[in-house]
Amino acid sequence: MLDFLFGQLVATHATFDVVTLSDRTTQALAEDPWLAAGYALLGLAGVGGFLSLLGMALIYVERKVAAHFQCRLGPMRVGWHGMLQSVADAIKLLLKEDIIPDRADRVLFLIAPVFSIIATTLGLILIPMSPSLQVVDLNIGVIFISAVSSFGVLGILLAGWSSNNKWSLLGAMRAGAQFISYEISVTLSLLVVTLFAGSLQLSEIVQSQQDGWWIWRGHIVGLVAFFVFLIASTAELNRPPFDLPEAESELTGGFHTEYSGLRFSFFFLAEFINMFIASALAATLFLGGWMPFHIGGLHTFNGLMDLIPPGLWFAGKTTFIIFLIMWVRWTFPRLRVDQLMRLEWKFLLPVGFINLFAAATLVITKLYFFPW
Amino acid sequence: MSYIDPKKSSRSAIEVGGVPVNIVVAPRGATGDKREGLLTIFYKSVKSLLTGMKVTIGYLVRPSTVVTQQYPENRETLKMFERFRGQLRLVKDENGYMNCNGCDFCEKACPNGSIILQDRRNSVSGKSELERYLWRLDSCTFCNACIQACPHDALEWSDGFEAAVYDRRLLVYTLNDYAGPPVNHIKRFKKKAGTPEDRVEELLATMEPRHQYGGPTPLSGKGMPGVPPLKTD
Repeated sequence: MLDFLFGQLVATHATFDVVTLSDRTTQALAEDPWLAAGYALLGLAGVGGFLSLLGMALIYVERKVAAHFQCRLGPMRVGWHGMLQSVADAIKLLLKEDIIPDRADRVLFLIAPVFSIIATTLGLILIPMSPSLQVVDLNIGVIFISAVSSFGVLGILLAGWSSNNKWSLLGAMRAGAQFISYEISVTLSLLVVTLFAGSLQLSEIVQSQQDGWWIWRGHIVGLVAFFVFLIASTAELNRPPFDLPEAESELTGGFHTEYSGLRFSFFFLAEFINMFIASALAATLFLGGWMPFHIGGLHTFNGLMDLIPPGLWFAGKTTFIIFLIMWVRWTFPRLRVDQLMRLEWKFLLPVGFINLFAAATLVITKLYFFPW
Repeated sequence: MSYIDPKKSSRSAIEVGGVPVNIVVAPRGATGDKREGLLTIFYKSVKSLLTGMKVTIGYLVRPSTVVTQQYPENRETLKMFERFRGQLRLVKDENGYMNCNGCDFCEKACPNGSIILQDRRNSVSGKSELERYLWRLDSCTFCNACIQACPHDALEWSDGFEAAVYDRRLLVYTLNDYAGPPVNHIKRFKKKAGTPEDRVEELLATMEPRHQYGGPTPLSGKGMPGVPPLKTD
């Protein structure tokens, strides 16, 4: 029937050639070392620029969205509808006095924010934004991302410890406990997609979704994994309703209480870029990343969808998930510490394990949609 | 959920020292209430979360729900709401005559002495009338007691909220812009049989202008730009 409506029913394998920036550098290295250096420099500058620009943009969007969720207008003064507010704030942060507490552990205090921002940058280079826009494509991409995101919490723990402030330490301990707990759920839902796709490489996971995104090809299992991932990664991002590490009302800022100026902005930036990474990862794993919306076998329909460039697909999906995370943040109240732990260990963890078994069964029996 | 069930509560009355006292015994919800199943709890929590999200997205998609005022820009069109208490003001009719006859009710109603009235006797009609209505914004708590106490509807709140000044003395206002007969006195004087026209003119001529800052406070200090010095007779 579908065949009749949409033309020939064939397994489409429209090819997207993935060329990452590191591939280009390696190729150019043999012929033209200067070109290779140019590529490498472009990658560095691109990631750095993307990091700061995206951070400012996300902060602006967050403030605007939050304002309208709360019947407010948000920034309206600097630039058109406050467009330049983030720029002004960035300049202000850079010019602020950098205070190091008297009895702080000086060395750790100085390197803690750097740890945070490095972890974020390492996560960022792996995100496949389009077939030709990816810095590095590791064959263990999924593991790498979950590894470096754990690196970020090390910065938070160090910050809390070295500040020599009880609020900071409490916040950092909460962050550690929260991160270790929710990392399990994140990994469990990452494993579901890894099982489906049969690969840990992010570009291959994207390629594996050209007959349909895993969120609906894996029907219920994919959907459950998606929501578990979303909840658990929101908790990992320390964003409300899981923002216990900085809980303003109890801890006066948590782990970054003692930080100011540039060092504070590192934490701030890392937090927002981590939100982007989590959203991009959710889009890549469950919503097909840069892969256009395909239905296995509908050749004409898929061809029409291919007209929209992959980069736009990626941007749209990521924006949607970022919006979802913001929506949740500005709607729900904060959890208590015991509620937080209960949600993970008594609810998300069992659900994640059952879901993983279901996924394994699904893959063996090939019961998901379009199993060719 | 335990709640008080009015149907199950028992009522009785006893007498304590000759006074009847009603007693209502409301039982708590049954202690053996069945705990809800996991699925029910899950369903209810998800439903309540989605309800919250529905509310917030409603605010996001409807810009008309924004309550923020772009204040300095919309200064001209800014409309304060009905119950807003800006600054105290004397009610005036279309001719500019005030209702206030200086009866002192507001001064007595004011809990902290923020209102001081000075009266005088009119030379033409022989009636007591308002000489100066002093209102101290610096000590006013905006409790509204003066307006409730006024028997002549002579007081009201204005919309003005921009009362910031650089000198504290400028917060003492003279509310009346003339010292003289209120609108009621003028009407009665006109109605009085056999009052010639020139007598009415004479009554109106007793009105003397009063400046906002003509009160005693600028007098005690030194001269200020924009504030005329008080004439001392």
